[in-house]
Amino acid sequence: MEGIAGVCAWEQVDARTPHPEYAIYRRYYTQEVNSAIAGARAGGASDVLVNDSHGPMRNLELEEMPHDVRIIFGNRKPSSMVQDADAGFDGAFFVGYHGAAGDADAVLCHTYTPSVIYEVCINDVRCSEATLNAALLGHYRVPLLLVTGDRTTVAGVQAQMPWVRGVIVKDSIGTFASASMTPAASCRATRREAEAAVRGAGEAKLFRFDPPIVLDVQLVTAAQAQLVATIPGFERTGSRSVQFTHADYATVFKAFIATWRLGATVPS
Amino acid sequence: MEGTAGVCSWKQCDPSDTQEYPHYRRLMTREVRAAIAGAREGGARHVLVNDSHWSMHNLLFDELPDDDELRVISGAPKPWSMMEGLDSECAAAFFTGYHAKAGDAATLAHTYSEAIYRVTVNETACSEALLNAALAGSHGVPVVLITGDRAIVEETARALPWAVGVAVKDAIGFSAVNSMTPHSAREAIHAGAREAMARIPRARPFTFAPPFELTIETAGVEQADFIELMPGFVRVGSRAVRFNADEYRPLHAAFIAATRIAAAAAPIA
Repeated sequence: MEGIAGVCAWEQVDARTPHPEYAIYRRYYTQEVNSAIAGARAGGASDVLVNDSHGPMRNLELEEMPHDVRIIFGNRKPSSMVQDADAGFDGAFFVGYHGAAGDADAVLCHTYTPSVIYEVCINDVRCSEATLNAALLGHYRVPLLLVTGDRTTVAGVQAQMPWVRGVIVKDSIGTFASASMTPAASCRATRREAEAAVRGAGEAKLFRFDPPIVLDVQLVTAAQAQLVATIPGFERTGSRSVQFTHADYATVFKAFIATWRLGATVPS
Repeated sequence: MEGTAGVCSWKQCDPSDTQEYPHYRRLMTREVRAAIAGAREGGARHVLVNDSHWSMHNLLFDELPDDDELRVISGAPKPWSMMEGLDSECAAAFFTGYHAKAGDAATLAHTYSEAIYRVTVNETACSEALLNAALAGSHGVPVVLITGDRAIVEETARALPWAVGVAVKDAIGFSAVNSMTPHSAREAIHAGAREAMARIPRARPFTFAPPFELTIETAGVEQADFIELMPGFVRVGSRAVRFNADEYRPLHAAFIAATRIAAAAAPIA
């Protein structure tokens, strides 16, 4: 949701408090998702599954959605933002994505849990949420076809996955400001690129990490690393870092989710 | 702390409570002091105390002996939780103020947290005392004293027949007790600790037989959802997970990690 046109502040995407701004931006979010769906349909997509993946993961305005899609709604999904990656789809879109924790000029950048995760690397590749999620899709042989968000985020994804079409809806000015398209313009661009992405799906590749898969996570605090290091198979590699190695990416992905869930329990 | 004489409610054990907890942490400290005194009289040279309740900084230092050979572990979380600091250098371990396992008809019965419904290792239902005794056993260290309510003391003494048990109270359901006075409990713990030191030569480390199989039944589905995320855990029921290991210590560490991530599964908005 952070990568939707116009978004530049936490209160716009804060579903839990929530702020009056959130009601406005969840509508824009729904509209961009709907534009991606419309583009996919125009490009020839038959079955469409939407996975609401922001915050409590029940942001989409369901009555505003097309009636011929299925929607994954709600929280604590084992595969989180890429739940049902193994459902046999031919391609995936990431709409409204944001940069990785630590990215410069990426509005509201973070990686899953800002207070817990400082940096994630897999096989020495620095990972954003898009990287981590695309790799689970790749694990199940689903290619990423489209990413929308700010310039830093889109460029980051395309650097790792050059076959992915991108919609740059805004330029970030630091972490809390953006120079953005209007929502209407971003919807038009998203629809256009989504259609092209589906038409070009045949040229897309799978993004995968080669085993052995080495997950390195730097936590924000040493206390979090101490606790996370107690997850079976994890090793403490530094005062604020842990490592986990496994041949199977799905296991690594679940372990990463356990990492931030457990890390978040540390009293600050 | 729940197994301290007189304790019968969470408020007495809850560090955020300002009415009752300040009094009962003093009683807890005094029971620990009685166990230290008995250990010293029984020949212990170095004593290491690990505060193991809730936030794990309950003991009042001004009530502990002024003793250059006493060290105190305080605070949480600790990698080995209630057994932090124990290694093969220790001659024996005491468990004071222990409570019964989740599901027992006993005072404040639980196993680590209320998120846990039942824990078994190799099909033996486990209290905290038994799990911790097995961790001590993995270092070759026997548990020689258990104090608390009658339910946990008698169950533990059956599993560790060489240990001295001091039952300071009988449970009347979950939140009432028929208790010794704190003074009498301290005398009994003091004498029991002295006797426990004499039993060390006959005591044995408690161990389960390898390979080890841990089954955790959780209070709700949501806790099992979280535990299952961790490598090595297998979901064996809607509210049950399993972990297998050839050595006990990794299994115990996995159990501690499971209790912690389960605690994070409290209902959210």
